[in-house]
Amino acid sequence: MSICFDILTTAALLFIVTSGLMMIFGVMQIVNFSHGAIISVGGYVSFVLAQLGIPGWYGWIFAFLVGALVGALMERLVVRPLYKRPLDAILATWGLGIVMIQIITICFGRGIQFVDAPLQGTWHLLGTDYSSYRLVMIPVAFVICALLVALLNGTRFGVRTRAVIMNEALAESLGINAGLIRFITFSIGAGLGTLAGMLITPLSSVDPYMGVTWLTSAFMLVMVSGHSFLSLLFTCLVFSTFQVLVSTYVNPVLGGMTIAVLAAATLRIRPRGFSRD
Amino acid sequence: MTSFFHMNEKGRSLFSRITMPGLVCLVLVIIGPAVFDMYMLNTMVKAFFFAIAAITVDILWGYTGCLTFGQSAFFGLGAYAAGLVFTHLGFTPAYVALALALAVIGAALVGLFTGWISFYRGASSFFACIISLVLPIVLNQLILSGGSFTGSSSGLTGFDTFEFEMEQWYWIAGGLMMVCGVLSSVFLSSDAGRILVSIRDNESRCAYLGLNPSAIKICLLGVCAAMAGLAGFGYGAFSGVVAPELTGFSFGTEMIIWVALSGRGTLWGPMLGTLVITVATAYLSSAMPFVWQLLLGLAFVLVIIFLPQGLIPLLSRPFAGRRTFVPALESSEVEADGRHEDEPVLEMTHVERRYGSLSVLKDVTFTGRPGELIGINGPNGAGKTTLMRCMSDGKERTGGTIKLCGHDIVRQHPQACVRFGLGRKFQNANIFDTLTVAECLRMARSVLERSSLFRRDKVIHLPPYALEVVRVTGLEAKLGTVARDLSHGEQQALELAMVLALEPRIILLDEPTAGLTRAERISIGQVFSSLAHKYGLCCLLVEHDLDFVKEIATRIVVLHQGTIVVQGSAEEVVNSELVQTIYAGPSRKDEEVA
Repeated sequence: MSICFDILTTAALLFIVTSGLMMIFGVMQIVNFSHGAIISVGGYVSFVLAQLGIPGWYGWIFAFLVGALVGALMERLVVRPLYKRPLDAILATWGLGIVMIQIITICFGRGIQFVDAPLQGTWHLLGTDYSSYRLVMIPVAFVICALLVALLNGTRFGVRTRAVIMNEALAESLGINAGLIRFITFSIGAGLGTLAGMLITPLSSVDPYMGVTWLTSAFMLVMVSGHSFLSLLFTCLVFSTFQVLVSTYVNPVLGGMTIAVLAAATLRIRPRGFSRD
Repeated sequence: MTSFFHMNEKGRSLFSRITMPGLVCLVLVIIGPAVFDMYMLNTMVKAFFFAIAAITVDILWGYTGCLTFGQSAFFGLGAYAAGLVFTHLGFTPAYVALALALAVIGAALVGLFTGWISFYRGASSFFACIISLVLPIVLNQLILSGGSFTGSSSGLTGFDTFEFEMEQWYWIAGGLMMVCGVLSSVFLSSDAGRILVSIRDNESRCAYLGLNPSAIKICLLGVCAAMAGLAGFGYGAFSGVVAPELTGFSFGTEMIIWVALSGRGTLWGPMLGTLVITVATAYLSSAMPFVWQLLLGLAFVLVIIFLPQGLIPLLSRPFAGRRTFVPALESSEVEADGRHEDEPVLEMTHVERRYGSLSVLKDVTFTGRPGELIGINGPNGAGKTTLMRCMSDGKERTGGTIKLCGHDIVRQHPQACVRFGLGRKFQNANIFDTLTVAECLRMARSVLERSSLFRRDKVIHLPPYALEVVRVTGLEAKLGTVARDLSHGEQQALELAMVLALEPRIILLDEPTAGLTRAERISIGQVFSSLAHKYGLCCLLVEHDLDFVKEIATRIVVLHQGTIVVQGSAEEVVNSELVQTIYAGPSRKDEEVA
């Protein structure tokens, strides 16, 4: 039973970490390689809040706002000139990630820090005891997914965003401010990144490179799932199943590369991945 | 300084290969042991090996346009080949040879395999980038899970290795770097090397010139992997330490930073840049550890945004007199292919194209013979361009057969169709932006005349009709001009000349008169007539302007809603009531056609 929980919570964590990258790639076709650094920022936000004695639950909103602010600055200064050069945008955002990580290192040092989870202990569920905080991540992932789907499919902003995704020139000629849409999307995407950083810190430790280890997995997941958050949810579930099974029954280190290998194989066979269109 | 060497050379001296930053590298290699202290020499030896790896990144990314994070994997493979063999088997001449073979051939094989996965037909540039990320991740995890065999996360140390003096290492590493640099430079400026740039500029045009871009990229990755493996072997043998970080993705991105900062696509620039950055990192990391990385990252971001061509071209611009190599044009004999005059060169039977339930072409059957100029007409959406696509790419049609000069195209790629004797001129000028006119023309000849890996042909042979197009349109005076700088009309003429240089038996022309003035239309019409009547090509002309077509066409085929409704001589078609109905609508039969 606990392996089922492992699969579900891993999938939830992957989804939480990937959603910000997905938001940005889905709308702008730009891979934000500073996503790893943004996750680290989230980790340090939670560290600072814990030092100040502010309870973790409030921090979630705060983390999102910090990330959105960082994202807004990045979009204005760095990403905007590179929309026409997607490969260069990967590189520039990676460089920006280096800068952010070094700033964090200068401020907080290289050492590993720990943050307590806002929810301690285990819950007894379906015959096993399982970490309550990890279990909470499952509904959190669903809530994030539902909110994003609602935002993109149920609001005026969502309609405009989808118009920009489908045909930017036409959308602009209809009076939609594509630049503004991108600005907002990028900020939300970065905000989701720091939120993810905050959410995962109680499960691991905080160090400047904590986000980078997640970056490649998140990148692979986005490439496989295309534009839709529902297909991302599905992909996370499938891949985390493989990852947990390989880690448990074969070798935990080899488990670390299952996502990369599966993603490469999936894309080779089906270049559009799991997306329907 | 570079121009000094160029003026001196009559042929192509070795020195002419080395540009300004390359000269700096050479000077560093020569004077190093005399001026540097031990620590600096040690750093420089490592930097030389890194520079060789940086060359491969520059060839793949700067010249060919494939962004790769994965060259570190091949470098690490080479280093681990040395480490593993020397640790577990021992250090004897035989094992050195084995380790070297593993490093070079092993890396090449992994490179070929990676290339085979990355560069399938129709793969996006993102995909190759993803695979180049997967490779170091996989390798890294394998090494970490290798236990005491690979040394896991602490790597391998303390194995026996070459006992050279530091100075000797310096000459070996520096010499190896210069040799790799000169060889790469010779290759990159040869006719074959220019093919890489043409792939970067316009991959689909390459395929329509009969080249196989995927195969070229796979081979290239194999060679680059071998070179990076060699560098890694040297690094491992020299330092006596191999760590998993050498195979990792972070090291791969570091190589990209070296290349991007110094100038992608300049070969010697990234080599010098690698030396400078590696040395600076070695000294500044201790003085200001995090600030240095911060500055490097910041510089990288700024260069990517504002100066994509990198810093070294900017610094060496005042010294570099751009030298353009202009070959002569010569007329070539078009060989008769031994086919009978009247045998059809194009046979289409029951060709159809469906998109789901939408049927764009239905049961199209017709033949084209040498010397015919067939106008394919029809209103917008009749399926004209789809028909062209089906003829030039075996994967396009959903039914029926197409034979080009007697060869069934089955499901073959465009390059195969081109080799069967087809040439396709696109509606918008489809050329290589950064190549010169002469290079574009040479590229079009690469299937007929094998491109040399070492030099550039001084003469480009063109069939008489292609030469005529080049001369009539004034392109001959602009052979050294970069194609991007040509006018719209000149670009169209260049593409036509490139397609004709293939010596095709069948030529597809998609709206060649779009955007031309009336006078230009008349002269281009004469060119097409002579292609068909004088040189016996089978020309297929897609147009919706019936007036233009009826002047020159020997036969007109009218498509409507995906089927051939009328075909015959110009008069028959123009006067056909059906055609008038299609063009002018049923109730206005008496109006003039189109």
